[in-house]
Amino acid sequence: MPGADKETDLTERIEAFLADLKRGGSGTGPLRGSGEMARETTYLLRRITAQARWSSAGDLMEIIRNEGRRMTAAQPSETTVGNMVRRVLKIIREEYARSRGSSEETEQQESLHKLLTAGELSEETFREHFVHLKANVIEAINELLTELDGTTDNIAMQALEHIHSNEVIMTVGRSRTVEAFLKDAARKRKFHVIVAECAPFCQGHEMATGLSKVGIETTVIADAAIFAVMSRVNKVIIGTQTVLANGGLRAVNGTHSVALAARHHSTPLIICAPMFKLSPQFPNEEDTFHKFVSPHEVLPFTAGEILSKVNVHCPVFDYVPPELITLFISNIGGNAPSYIYRLMSELYHPEDHKL
Amino acid sequence: MSSRGGKQKKGNVTSEQEEEEQPLQAVLVADSFNRRFFPISKDQPRALLPLGNVAMIDYTLEFLTSTGVQETFVFCCWMSNKIKDHLLKSKWCRPTSPNVVHIITSDLYRSLGDVLRDVDAKNLVRNDFILVYGDVVSNIDVSQALQEHRHRRKVDKNISVMTMVFKESSPGHKSRCEEDDVIVAMDSKSKRFSMGTDEFEIRHDLLDCHISICSPQVAELFTDNFDYQTRNDFVRGILVNEEILGNQIHLYVTQDGYGARVSNLQMYDSVSSDMVRRWVYPLTPEANFTDQQGQGCTHSRHNVYRGAEVSLGHGSQMEENVLIGRDTSIGANCHISNSVIGNNCTIGDNVVLDRAHMWNNVHISSNVEIHQSVVCDGAVVKEAVRLNKQCVLAYNVVIGPNLSLPEGTVVSMHHPEEEEEDDDDEFLSDDQEVGHSKDKTRQKAFNPAEVGPEGKGYIWKASMNDTEDEELAQCLWGLVLNPDPESDSESEASEESQDRTFQLEVLGTLQRGLEENIVCDNLVLEINSLKYAYNITLKEVMQILTRVVLEYPFQQQGTQLTTLQYTGSLLPLLKTWSPVFKNYIKRAQDHLDCLSAVEELFLEQDTHQTAMVKVLMKMYQLEILEEEAILKWFSTGATNDKSRQLRKNQGLQKFIQWLKEAEDESSEEGE
Repeated sequence: MPGADKETDLTERIEAFLADLKRGGSGTGPLRGSGEMARETTYLLRRITAQARWSSAGDLMEIIRNEGRRMTAAQPSETTVGNMVRRVLKIIREEYARSRGSSEETEQQESLHKLLTAGELSEETFREHFVHLKANVIEAINELLTELDGTTDNIAMQALEHIHSNEVIMTVGRSRTVEAFLKDAARKRKFHVIVAECAPFCQGHEMATGLSKVGIETTVIADAAIFAVMSRVNKVIIGTQTVLANGGLRAVNGTHSVALAARHHSTPLIICAPMFKLSPQFPNEEDTFHKFVSPHEVLPFTAGEILSKVNVHCPVFDYVPPELITLFISNIGGNAPSYIYRLMSELYHPEDHKL
Repeated sequence: MSSRGGKQKKGNVTSEQEEEEQPLQAVLVADSFNRRFFPISKDQPRALLPLGNVAMIDYTLEFLTSTGVQETFVFCCWMSNKIKDHLLKSKWCRPTSPNVVHIITSDLYRSLGDVLRDVDAKNLVRNDFILVYGDVVSNIDVSQALQEHRHRRKVDKNISVMTMVFKESSPGHKSRCEEDDVIVAMDSKSKRFSMGTDEFEIRHDLLDCHISICSPQVAELFTDNFDYQTRNDFVRGILVNEEILGNQIHLYVTQDGYGARVSNLQMYDSVSSDMVRRWVYPLTPEANFTDQQGQGCTHSRHNVYRGAEVSLGHGSQMEENVLIGRDTSIGANCHISNSVIGNNCTIGDNVVLDRAHMWNNVHISSNVEIHQSVVCDGAVVKEAVRLNKQCVLAYNVVIGPNLSLPEGTVVSMHHPEEEEEDDDDEFLSDDQEVGHSKDKTRQKAFNPAEVGPEGKGYIWKASMNDTEDEELAQCLWGLVLNPDPESDSESEASEESQDRTFQLEVLGTLQRGLEENIVCDNLVLEINSLKYAYNITLKEVMQILTRVVLEYPFQQQGTQLTTLQYTGSLLPLLKTWSPVFKNYIKRAQDHLDCLSAVEELFLEQDTHQTAMVKVLMKMYQLEILEEEAILKWFSTGATNDKSRQLRKNQGLQKFIQWLKEAEDESSEEGE
């Protein structure tokens, strides 16, 4: 039975992905970049769309929502997974609406006027069957994939607008996006980058090696020196793990102190974040917000006797409030933190915020 | 199952780091082949005991799966049905599991050796495999070790048969099992376990994770050497025969990751607390890696984990490192720290729990205090009970009310004596076992003084009757006083105890010799054979012999002897045994060693120091000791204040004087 075989293959893949997510990040945060994670999730969702049994958009959305719930539960800190699930749900809604022939424009605009007049949220059932829906949805997901592939380049392209000659730039830890951003600027301009090492994982070292390879003047500093060095810095450019719904960040720890130092010296703080990192999550959900990994990096296991006498914690993320952030640079351009809510409503359907 | 294996390979090979054609296999031994967890393991096999509310075998399987093992053979013996049921229900036996689990049960396995011989007989492994016990908790990525192992095998043509995984951890670490304390001699370059090569390093900062990567030859070697019972036997065998067979064992030392075997309750306690403190990340309680419904919990600050539907009374505090299973309710004003509480427990008001390990369905009444203890499934602790350190309440025990259990109490529904009677049918099927115990339970009444007026259960006393039981109770918490020689084969840690036993044996021999009037030559023969049996050097033999003889009067007549009585009984003995001494004391160095042994003893027995002269005199007269040696010892031997003090003894001074004069005379005569 080829059909059944297909289905077990699909579930096998989903299980493998879930297991990967659960094991994801032994120590140094996510093993893979979140860009890769986003792509992988989308591939899997496309496969589900293609191979799962469904007859109407409603069924498909239910399936994707279920799988999405499991995926996010497997590794709550990996918000990109949930974001991609929401993006795909939104795609299905749009394609369904287009098939029905209603204008998606009106669906999208949640104006105050509409809220007052509409009474309730749309009680669409998505039960109608359309022959081409599957092909259309897959086509749209493919478009999403191309968009994902281009995000880093799109962000890097804007580098020259932000980095000028002989500037001193500070960054913290390692972010693939920021690395690409700086490297792009380095092709035309000369500038100096100071990298905070970001203990205890010290991804900053990797970042510095990467930057110096392309001939950027790079200095690595200890995290404790961030404030002291900040007065010389023209701009702080950092990456983030997640952009929260209020415009705040959930980024690698150490970022908050950088942001506060930047605010004290009135240095602009620029965040390079692709759109898929935008999450409808608010920073108040305690159990999913934090991620504590093995304390090994803080106090090695070899330390021996002392370990039975102390508690060692090793949190991975910091929360950076939106007031400290000057600008977000995403693949669709620069935005202020106050505009994040708007982008949110463009990317995700309000009903999908909670999977 | 086997038809699925092929397909499995296809699906997973892409995600694996190695491009090996064969799937990676593992042998998981879900039996400890010892009874360290008795009486707990009487009701539940050790592999299924919950650690952080998850059965231990699940940690091991998760570890294997995450390192890319695609086929696992689980061998069970004791209570194999329970393990089988558990595994069939778990996610490991779902068709989508990337790790195909085969369960192999037999009542005939008595040791690791039996299991591996069976692996060989059934021809299960085709390639390198990972060998672990069902109670190993680890997140070490062994793929690196695996690669090294494979590389070595390619280069050296199958000389390396085993790579053992060790973790760096300095002495004093709480997760270092005292029984497993190993000293490892390894070739620093090739990471080979070495014995007497030119250049090697000796390490005492390693923790044996009990994870070994084995070549298929390992199973064959176990078959060839049917006397190998444990991995230690194997390691020793390989090392001893290294020259002949050319097999080698290598080490893989890792700094990252976590790996430990829950070999006793002490280890259970520390592994559990390490797990709650997230050392085993990503195997954390909230990850719910077993994928069971309703097992999920949330993690909040200070490592507090709460399952679903947990209720906490007013004023109760979960201080730190607390894990609470689902549907557990806790009363008011409780203080809980460093504890793990299972599912469906009820806890009353004003309860203090510290380092408590409570499994499922436990009922704790109000005003109870529990410190560092294990409370198994279904146990009931009544009002105002206090469990001091290292108590164990086995399954369904009832304790209290108003009772304080002293440190180290073990209470079980099984009567300890019944345990002894059942000794032989230990490996019979469990239903038969249960039948037995039920009969006995009815026969014997519970002692209300021990378990409280409403209590149910029997106390397993530490010093019940014979030494075996003593060892048993101690073993539960791993505080072993006399470690069994097996546990430290690779190390020389047992030398001390070997000396001790040797000393006892020598004493016994001499005693018998005296009673039965055995000729001294035969005594020498016996001591010599003992020397080989315990692998003692000649120097030590002599020192121990001297010690035994000098202590003999104390041994026979108590330590309250006066000096006069002591010398009175000792001197004839010296005369009787002088041939024995003469046999061992030949070279000049032997004389000095003997003298230092005498000195050591009299330094300890400082009330009898005056007897020393008489002893030396007698030994001189019997020609056991030569005068040059005595003089040399007297002039050079003083190393510390005490021995200097000893040499100032008047009698001794006179004796030495006399010796010197005698020597002068004799030399004069010679002229």
